[in-house]
Amino acid sequence: MGAIATAFGLVFDPYVLAIIMGSAVFGMFVGAMPGLTATMATALLVPVTFFMAPVPALGAIVTATAMAIFAGDIPAAMLRMPGTPASAAYADESYEMTKKGQLDLCMGVNLVFSVLGGIFGVAILVLLAPVLAEVAINFSSFEYFWLACLGLTCAVFIGTGDPLKGLLSLFIGLAIGTVGIDPAAGQPRFTFGNVDLLSGINFIPTLIGMFAVSELLRGAVTMEATGARIQQAVGNMFAGLGAVARRYWKNFIRGSVIGTVIGALPGAGADIAAWVSYAVSKKMSKEPEKFGTGHIEGIVDSTSANNSALGGAWIPALVFGIPGDSITAIVIGVLYMKGMNPGPTVFLQTPELIYAVFIIFILANLLMFPLGWVAIKSAKQILRVPRNILLPVILIFCMVGSFAMTNSLYGVVLMVVMGVFGWLLEEHGIPVAPLILGLVLGEMLEQNFMSSMIKASGSFVGFLDRPIAGTLGVLTMLLWAMMAWKALPFGRRQPVAA
Amino acid sequence: MRFNDAVVGLVFLAIAAAMIAMTFSFPAFPGQQYGPSLFPRILGAGIIGCSVLLMLRGWREHAAGGRWLLLDGWTSQPRRVASFALMLGAMAFYILASEPLGFIPSAMLIQLVLFLWFGVRPLTAVIVAVGMTLLVHWFFSSMMRVPLPRGILDSVL
Repeated sequence: MGAIATAFGLVFDPYVLAIIMGSAVFGMFVGAMPGLTATMATALLVPVTFFMAPVPALGAIVTATAMAIFAGDIPAAMLRMPGTPASAAYADESYEMTKKGQLDLCMGVNLVFSVLGGIFGVAILVLLAPVLAEVAINFSSFEYFWLACLGLTCAVFIGTGDPLKGLLSLFIGLAIGTVGIDPAAGQPRFTFGNVDLLSGINFIPTLIGMFAVSELLRGAVTMEATGARIQQAVGNMFAGLGAVARRYWKNFIRGSVIGTVIGALPGAGADIAAWVSYAVSKKMSKEPEKFGTGHIEGIVDSTSANNSALGGAWIPALVFGIPGDSITAIVIGVLYMKGMNPGPTVFLQTPELIYAVFIIFILANLLMFPLGWVAIKSAKQILRVPRNILLPVILIFCMVGSFAMTNSLYGVVLMVVMGVFGWLLEEHGIPVAPLILGLVLGEMLEQNFMSSMIKASGSFVGFLDRPIAGTLGVLTMLLWAMMAWKALPFGRRQPVAA
Repeated sequence: MRFNDAVVGLVFLAIAAAMIAMTFSFPAFPGQQYGPSLFPRILGAGIIGCSVLLMLRGWREHAAGGRWLLLDGWTSQPRRVASFALMLGAMAFYILASEPLGFIPSAMLIQLVLFLWFGVRPLTAVIVAVGMTLLVHWFFSSMMRVPLPRGILDSVL
């Protein structure tokens, strides 16, 4: 009980509350701007949070991402441009509603079910994480090795459209992670005699490069699409909500469950949760023919799902130190930098920190209601901020943020190199999210792999000897076999389109 | 801009081969069977495996009439190519100029040039460039104590 009281004390501190409020406004803005994603919001926030204590730092990230995922719904409905990829699944549907004059209802549903979905995800996180942590406390390097393998495999398998390119991206990320001093023997690797590279590829400039700079490069060539204008004013958002809630409460539950589960699976985040739950909603609906014509049903499912995915993604991140999506990958990177190794020991050593994250999560979702209302009402003004002003300003933030991580130009150089590299990868259909996961988990994976190898003296059976390790190992290898089967030409049922 | 998968595969194959070659210079530790070269070699093998599959796929695509290099629409429009180059140029400029010039002049200059190129009205451009630069400088330099380069303004700040 003492830890919970401490946690309340940590969160309800004027400084922390001010940070949460500030990052909430920031998250709303970034989420509502088409082209700026929730991951980018996190990447830009990290240099600022770097100088804070753990609780305000985590609070800023949790709040900003929760707001951004909701705020993405606003331009989706008003302009048919999803503010973040998480709203893309139902952007058309929302826009059809707007065309039918139901913008009010659409916004009301998005707001209320985003809040409820978010709270659902947090509730599962609060209930499940401590229980799982008790199991995880007995894990040895074998279990962690398989868990990391399983997580990374899921990331490639579910999180990407093209598993081969996802796998390549993952290997590249893991390989980038080996730069620097190796964790087992202290041998410098791939440093080319460069002092900066001895400490490894700094995670945050890489992140800013991959998620923000590559976006700026893409934005530079599509600059014309600026200054969107919204015709419809938003009236009373809450009229008719009761009827929707009565009719579609099952959809809300289903969407939230799907969202939380997909969020908890490593590598798949809010965007995939929204796509899947929208598809499930259509399949299970009594009136699937209405989907795509401005029908609220699928929106209830998917808007709940993408917000609940956020909470879900924190389950494996907090319990095992394995991120559930690219946002929690960033969070884990931040925790490592602050000298805290995410994993079950955090629940024992600093439980107040875990409770503080829970409290902030709930607080952020409650705060979403009034702030979201304001954001919807002032959407006209927000969406008028032209991109030709925004992108150069973001560029300055990126460069200063990267500089601040190393206090030298090395950070900026790394950011630019990784930005161009990330841009090239995405141009070739190679997703960058697995790369970031690989970079974050690389050291942990290698450490657990090496100590397992030494403990088992190279015998493969040793990796599967313990019951949980064996189960995880067999599961992982089954997934690998499935992937290999699919990759082979005769394993495929239908030919792929080139 | 998109090269055929065979080209992408070839590039990563070469990188992975170089990576594996470099691991042979890592020292082995007596009495320890698994040294620092083991994990990078496994990763290198993984990259090579993916690259070979990609090359096969790309080769088939090429044989079916695919091109080695596909260019997006914007690459044929000089203005957009210039926008792209300018964005990259701005970053290169910052890397080269921020130490001698200092953060404030270089950040202002970058924003001003980009604003004007992307068609922001001159007055707005000047106000935002000056305002944002000072705001960022105040936040990172004064609040966060980041040693942003002072450059030519060293005596003033």
